[in-house]
Amino acid sequence: MSKVNLKTELAVLKLRNPIITSSGTYGFGEEYAPYCPPSLLGAITVKGITPLPRLGNPVPRLAETPAGLLNSVGLENPGLEEFKKSYLPKLPGLDTEVIVNISGFSIEDYTFLASAFQSDSGIAALEVNISCPNIKHGGMAFGTHPESAQEVIATVRKNTDLPIIAKLSPNVTDIAEMAKAVERGGADIISLINTLLGMSIDIRSQKPVLANKMGGLSGPAVRPIAVRMVYQVYEAVDIPIIGMGGISTWQDAVEFMLAGASAVSIGTANFVNPMAPIDILTGLEEYCQQRGYGSVREIVGLAHQR
Amino acid sequence: MILKERVVENRIMGHPAQGLYKMVLSGQIAQTAIPGQFIHLQVADSNDPLLRRPLSIAGIDKVKEEVTIYYKVIGKGTELLTRIRENEHVSVLGPLGTGFTIPEQGELLLVAGGIGVFPLLSLIQVIDNEKVRVKLLWGGENKQFMESAGLIDIEKMGVDMEMSTLDGSLGTQGLVTALLESYLDGGRITELKDKGNLKVATCGPKGMLKAVTNICLSHKVPVEVSLEERMACGVGACLGCVCSVKDSEGNLKRKRVCKEGPVLDGKEVVWDE
Ligand SMILES: Cc1cc2nc3c(=O)[nH]c(=O)nc-3n(C[C@H](O)[C@H](O)[C@H](O)COP(=O)(O)OP(=O)(O)OC[C@H]3O[C@@H](n4cnc5c(N)ncnc54)[C@H](O)[C@@H]3O)c2cc1C
Ligand SMILES: Cc1cc2nc3c(=O)[nH]c(=O)nc-3n(C[C@H](O)[C@H](O)[C@H](O)COP(=O)(O)O)c2cc1C
Ligand code: FES
Repeated sequence: MSKVNLKTELAVLKLRNPIITSSGTYGFGEEYAPYCPPSLLGAITVKGITPLPRLGNPVPRLAETPAGLLNSVGLENPGLEEFKKSYLPKLPGLDTEVIVNISGFSIEDYTFLASAFQSDSGIAALEVNISCPNIKHGGMAFGTHPESAQEVIATVRKNTDLPIIAKLSPNVTDIAEMAKAVERGGADIISLINTLLGMSIDIRSQKPVLANKMGGLSGPAVRPIAVRMVYQVYEAVDIPIIGMGGISTWQDAVEFMLAGASAVSIGTANFVNPMAPIDILTGLEEYCQQRGYGSVREIVGLAHQR
Repeated sequence: MILKERVVENRIMGHPAQGLYKMVLSGQIAQTAIPGQFIHLQVADSNDPLLRRPLSIAGIDKVKEEVTIYYKVIGKGTELLTRIRENEHVSVLGPLGTGFTIPEQGELLLVAGGIGVFPLLSLIQVIDNEKVRVKLLWGGENKQFMESAGLIDIEKMGVDMEMSTLDGSLGTQGLVTALLESYLDGGRITELKDKGNLKVATCGPKGMLKAVTNICLSHKVPVEVSLEERMACGVGACLGCVCSVKDSEGNLKRKRVCKEGPVLDGKEVVWDE
């Protein structure tokens, strides 16, 4: 039907289309399968995995803010061993590309996690979450210092032959500098943005709403920040970008691609509309068709021309 | 599937001070719904509030293909819900989560706190009265709620009920847990208990659920609790809604209230972490 070529190449990572679902918002792929067939998506990203199982933070873990969501899940996950045993074998059945998101609290954690996934593991790429605190360095997130961000990515590079996606934290003053650092570290692709650190206080109880006090802000409220950062990173590096942060409609996806994203990832919007990824793909395709683009990749970065 | 259900009825019940509403939805939900499950409903087509709202299924009519929910206005989402008119369509995910076990014999004791009585009503609907005796213990703030809820003479519908209110305006003054204690201490049900023919299902605020569970377990009576937690996805994907449980080896684990719950075995729930 469509004459628009949706095939998306992110360096060595090849996807049937540019629509991805975001880590932590899409479980292990099967939760949303009854609502949105994974086979229609370019890729899904599974929940962040750490070396050992984590119970995560106490509840309340969620707080709604205007057009946004604060979460403090605290990286609850089954840990590497259980993930490989109980979840990984089921992923190929989803008939889509699978990106595994890894999170560590030390360089050793990243070494350990990266070596556990290779090109024969049945997954398409590793996404490295560098927004976690580095416990050996006073808890500052790896992703807030160019040196430690580069070091984490270089470590992962050394230990896996899979394509590496470096996922940037927006909680920095100079996102372009961080992007250059992970490019130097050997990242094949950059994804951004992770959540923005935020807080909400209940004026009745006069206490923070989240048990963890602070949490990560996502949803439409963060979109202009994410678009700005994608735009800046596009000018700073030569590797492809996966844009995310508040995308809920096809118009939002087009905006990210014009800013320089070769693919887009949908997170919080799934909670509201589990069909959002498909609706966005359909709208994106129509936009390209109506404007006479033969391929969706032709619109990437167009906002930089003027 | 995301369902578009038609709103058949959406109206305030009784005294405005209670802020209690009834909504009836017509569509596919009723076909597969079981008592204890919930729906995840989109209250508005805007970003504020952003998320869907979880609401328990309180009545299931498979013939008319309708489900009934009751809700209390407490914030923006539930306030917007009151503005939906009859014959409008709403976007719903569901039925979601686990349901109550439906006993086939003996006695089912329902322990409800406030608005928690409604999800238990759907259980009364499906019980075979010939085989299972149903008893309802309800505790709440005052008489006005029960009047507004239209449950003041539920006994006429053949439901055996005892009530307690904080202000003593209806039933005995005090908490529903006191009713439960004296009921379980009563001689009549000793035999039922001993044969394992007494089961409890409970729904209400968290503190009450904890107290009810502790009382039941000390009497060796199995209890199913319906939990509530703030939710985002409603389908098990975000890990926002977890509760803590102890597995058989005593290890602390998480369960998703939206997926492995909302109805859980009371004895596995860890109330204070
Ligand atoms: C499985 C499940 C079933 C439910 N069934 C029903 C039902 O049948 N009828 C009904 O009236 N309500 C039910 N609820 C609660 C209902 O979902 C909330 O009252 C509703 O989401 C509030 O939305 P709001 O926008 O009006 O209030 P908000 O503005 O979101 O909240 C108002 C205040 O209530 C607090 N709050 C909101 N949600 C919760 C929660 N889940 N737990 C504790 N505090 C909360 C907020 O922190 C805030 O202070 C259920 C909840 C769950 C999880
Ligand atoms: C509940 C929740 C859990 C998340 N968990 C992770 C995670 O484990 N690892 C990660 O890299 N990002 C995680 N994220 C961040 C998202 O992947 C995404 O970067 C962010 O939410 C911005 O996109 P959005 O506005 O479309 O949701 C999480 C986000 C949410 C809302
Ligand atoms: S609400 Fe998302 S896992 Fe339960």
